[in-house]
Parts: sequence; C-alpha cells; structure tokens
Amino acid sequence: MKVTFPHLGTMHIFCKAIAETSGIPYIVPPETSRRTLTLGVQHSNECICLPFKMILGNFIEALQMGADTIVMVGSGPPCRLGLYDLVQKVILEDMGLHYRWLTIPPRLTWQAIWKNYEETRELKKELSWKNILLFPYGLRMGWKKMMACEALEKLAMKVRPREVQKGETQKQLKKALSGVDEARTLRTLNDALQRGTTLLQETEQDFSRAPLKIAIVGELYTVMDPHINRGVEQKLGELGAEVTRTSWFSTHILRSLRKNKADQHSERIRFFEASKAYLGYDVGAECNLSIGEAIVRSQEGYDGVVHLMPFACMPETTASGILTRVGKDWDIPILTLILDEQEIEGRIQTLLEAFVEMLQWKRKAA
Amino acid sequence: MYLGIDVGSITTKMVVINEGDEILAEVYLRNNGRPLEAIQHGLESISSRLDGKTSIDGAATTGSARHLAAYLVGADLVKNEITAHSIAVIDLFPDAKTIFEIGGQDSKVIVLRTGVVVDFAMNTVCAAGTGSFLDQQAARLGISIEEFGRLALKAKQPVRVAGRCTVFAETDMIHKQQIGHSVEDIIGGLCDSLVKNYLNNVCRGKEILSPIVFQGGVAANQGIRKALEKELETDLIIPEHFGLMGAMGAAKLVRRAKPVRTQFKGFELSRKSCSTRGFECGECGNQCEVIELLIDREVVACWGDLCEKYRKSSGPITG
Repeated sequence: MKVTFPHLGTMHIFCKAIAETSGIPYIVPPETSRRTLTLGVQHSNECICLPFKMILGNFIEALQMGADTIVMVGSGPPCRLGLYDLVQKVILEDMGLHYRWLTIPPRLTWQAIWKNYEETRELKKELSWKNILLFPYGLRMGWKKMMACEALEKLAMKVRPREVQKGETQKQLKKALSGVDEARTLRTLNDALQRGTTLLQETEQDFSRAPLKIAIVGELYTVMDPHINRGVEQKLGELGAEVTRTSWFSTHILRSLRKNKADQHSERIRFFEASKAYLGYDVGAECNLSIGEAIVRSQEGYDGVVHLMPFACMPETTASGILTRVGKDWDIPILTLILDEQEIEGRIQTLLEAFVEMLQWKRKAA
Repeated sequence: MYLGIDVGSITTKMVVINEGDEILAEVYLRNNGRPLEAIQHGLESISSRLDGKTSIDGAATTGSARHLAAYLVGADLVKNEITAHSIAVIDLFPDAKTIFEIGGQDSKVIVLRTGVVVDFAMNTVCAAGTGSFLDQQAARLGISIEEFGRLALKAKQPVRVAGRCTVFAETDMIHKQQIGHSVEDIIGGLCDSLVKNYLNNVCRGKEILSPIVFQGGVAANQGIRKALEKELETDLIIPEHFGLMGAMGAAKLVRRAKPVRTQFKGFELSRKSCSTRGFECGECGNQCEVIELLIDREVVACWGDLCEKYRKSSGPITG
C-alpha cells in the first residue's frame, strides 16, 4: 500500500506526517506545476472549476509514480465540491489507473462513519499491528504539524507588509515550513516551529509602516492554495497589505467535528448571522460566510476585501453579485477575482496593484 | 523631458512630455505580436520627432507588458495601467466621474469621485467585447478597422447579435450574413451587442455617472461610441489623445516622481539587437518558465524564476 494526497496549501505536509509517523508508505505528488494543470485539464470536463482540475492533476501524477491509495477531503452538497471525490474516481478509473479511495468526511455523521468503515475494511487488512498502534500518534503528529504550518503562515502574513527586502518573508517562510516538514518527533517539531518563528521574526522589518488591512474571503480551495490563486496572499502582502483569512484546515476540520474553540466557533457564526441581511438561507459552501465576513470586516475597520472564486463556481458567483451591494452599503471596497486555467497572473497583479493604490488614496482622504 | 511607454496587447504607445505636461512627441504603433520590436521601432520614431538636444530625465512604463518594457528600456517607474489611465484623466478632466477604457484585450471601467478612484473593474478571464475581436471581424469582412466604425454608423436596422461570447457572436453574424442582411446592419448590430456585453459584465454593479470619459484604442470606433451614447443616453467625452492616455499617465507619474538619475538606456537601444529566450528550469518541481532578455547578445535581465536563482538585474522600482 502506498498512500497519496493532493497539494492543497500545506495539506501535503501534515498528511505526510500522519503516514510517516504510523509507518505507512506514502508518495507526495510532485509540486503543482504546469504539467499538473495540463493533465487535470486534459482529463476533466471543460466546465468544471480550477481546483478540481488541479487536484485531479495531482492524483494522476501521484498514481503514475506508483501510489495506490488516495486520501481526499470530501465535502457536502449543494456545491459541486460535494461530488469531487465521486467524479474524480470515475475519471481515474476511465484512465485505467488503479487505486483505492479514502474520504476524510467533511461532517461527522453516521453515514460518513459507515462510508469510512466500508472504505477502510480492505485497507485495514494491509496494515500491520504496528501501523494501527502508531496511527493515533501519527494523527497527533499530523495535527501538530498542521497547527505549526498555520501559525507560521499567519506570522508571515503579519511580517510581509513590513519587510524591508521585498520577497524576504516568503523565502524565510519556505525555510520554516520545510523545517516543520522534516521534523520526525513532537520534540523536534517544537524546535522547528521555534526556529521558524525566529526566522520570520528576524526578517528585517520597518515597524513605522501602517499597512492596509485586507481580508481574503471566498471559495476555500481557492483561498487556501497559492497555486490555484496565483499567490494572491503573497502579492498583497508584498504590495504592503496585512492580509487576514479565516479559511484554514483547522477551522474547517474543527467546524466539521463541531469542536470549535469558542472564538472560532463564534466568529463563523457571527459571519453567518451578518449575511442574513442579504440571504434568507444557506446557499452552501462559503457563500454566506464570504458575504458575512465582508460585512464584519467593514465593521472592524478593514480597508478592503479581496474575494476569490473559481470561474463558474455557483455559491461564489451568488456571493459576488451580493458583494457589490455589500460594498456600497458598508462602504468597503471589494475586489472579486475570478480564477481559471488561463495564465492571468499579470492581470491579477495589475488588479491588485490598482486595488491597493485605491485603498491608500481612500485612507489618505479619510 | 519625460518618456511614458504603454505596451498593450495589440499596440504600443509612447509620449514625451515636458515639465508643463505638454506633449512634445507621440507614437502609436501595432505590436504585431512582437512587443520588443515594437518598443524599438517606437523609440526610433519618437526620437526622430524630437530635436537632438532633448534629454530624457525619466522614463515610465505601463500596460500589460510594462515589466518587459521596463527591463528593456531601463524604466524609473513601472505603473499598472488602471492607475496610469486614472492619473491622465484626473488631470485633464477633474470633474469626470467615470472612465470607460476599451483596449485590445482589456476593457476597464474606473469610477472617480472628486478626482479620486473609488472603484474599478476589468475583464479577467474573458476578452469578449474588446478591440481584438473588432479587429478580427473587420479582417473577416475584408475592411479596415477605421472603415468598420464608419460603416456601423450607416446601419439602418442593426441586427441582433449574441454578445455574451465572441464565438457565439461570430456564429450569429455569419448566420445573419448568409440570410442576406447588409454588412452595415451586421456591423451596427455587433457594436450594439459589444456595448451591451461591456455594460452588463465589466460595468455590472458599478455606479455609472456622467461626465464619462471614453478612451483606449476602441474609442476611435465611431460605431461603438454611438452605441454607448445611445445605450447610456448621454454624451461621452473623448479626449484628444484617447489612445495615448496610459502613456501620458505614466509620463506624468515619472515627472512627479522626479528621478535623481534616470535608468533610461537611451534611444540608441533601437539600433541594438534585442531578443528574449525562454527555458524551463528543471531544478525543482516548480518547473518555472524562465525568460532571459538579451541586448547585444548579453543577458541583461531574467525573470519568471520563483526562487530568483537566475535573476540578475536589480529591477526597476515597482509601485
């Protein structure tokens, strides 16, 4: 058995940790590249969204390298994302690739547990007692690594707008993350996190700056993965904005386990409540939260909101229409970026530069 | 004197202004898909229009190939085209409330209030309703783009053309042509549908208030102009140098920035051999497509590498 998992933000780091610690063989797909996207586009329906194509490309590359078991986060309807795993399974089978599938349930329901039981019944036979015994420790290691990655990324978002040498923070973040990736035990992980934090903190910064505050909202894969969003978070940071987002693996996992820490729990509920002025019901995926977060951020004095969505994404298309109203009603500039497979990095850079400049003018005028 | 260069997807525009923002020389030429050559030609022809004593105190680039242009000519300032266009308009028409800018691949709307940009939008994934499509259709009909605009005005009964997507629009136009509609009516219909597409997609949700300034290459097209005025029921302001506004904005910005010593490599650049070459780096999984810029067979700049391993030039100031 060789498990694999997609590249989604830092997901490969903590999935790898779970497998590695439990002694289960694994394959990390090659970093998302043009080849990945080409493979994904070639084998999927033209109308499907960009995250689907990217992830499919990751799987194809991993399976070609010899992986035989795919671990993937599932999602619920009504968004197409809820069908991701089902459609991808059919495509991969049509391609003649053989593998087994393990869904990490989005919501812990009896149905999900049953599905998980069915899926793992065969897999368990291949695991040794050692694997099974070590698995809880592996999960713990994975969880800790995920939290470490998120802590480092959040710190980088604060450092970036103040960096003196443009691009320095990103370099340090890369080093810090690979330190976390390399750690084998909880103790070395702790050290790696400490070292990474110091690396980032010691980046030369200009503390006299008062960066703009921008919140990134939108479809979660697009928000979380820099390959899909063409590094919007980094670009905004380097243009001098302190960026915030609430889409993290931990928030989504905790939400699905309904074990949110009080503040995270209430934050998302707060967003949902705020969206009620515009939406009478839950549209699905992140739609209501995108709208609600924009409103809440305006109340908190943020300078602007960047809304990310894949081309043809239903819930976020709904959100983008409503967000134009929200922007006017709450006097907060909102920039919607629609992402697709085209090379539109230059265009994104242009839009972000103009957006940041506009926010600076607005701040000066106030 | 200050040089502003706007390298768009279809055309390259250059202006040289003096301290009083007056235009001393201007160039407007097609790229023909080769921006490097276009910039070199542009430099050559603009320098021939200046008297020999003119010295450049600063150069700025804008447009979608602004970074390439900046590396090539040695720019002191690189500015995104949305800001460059706004700056040019705010100076000329302080009361303007809206800017429509339709170029080769881009269409933008910029909302101004009391001389400040408060909102904007630009087409992202789709280039329907921009100049290049008009170009294509003019070529298909075997007429020049200038004549295209004139013919549109002669339409008696403009036909209905689907404007959502250029592929659909073309199918529609061919159908109309085959059942016997006149060329004028088809062109008129195309102008109407492009305008509707622009207003419904790019301008959706934006507060469009008059006075409206219409600029970019497509502003030359009388058919589009008339269709816009009819749809919005208001007159548009077309600036005298409607195609050069981006370059003017860039020139004005670098004049204000007043570089101490310009990075500009001089007009002689037009006589040197300039080329780019690209390769895919295989060092890591990123598989970056790296581009090298060569002047006189020497690598002067390199970009596209995420790790900045090949990067040589310090690069111009951005922002």
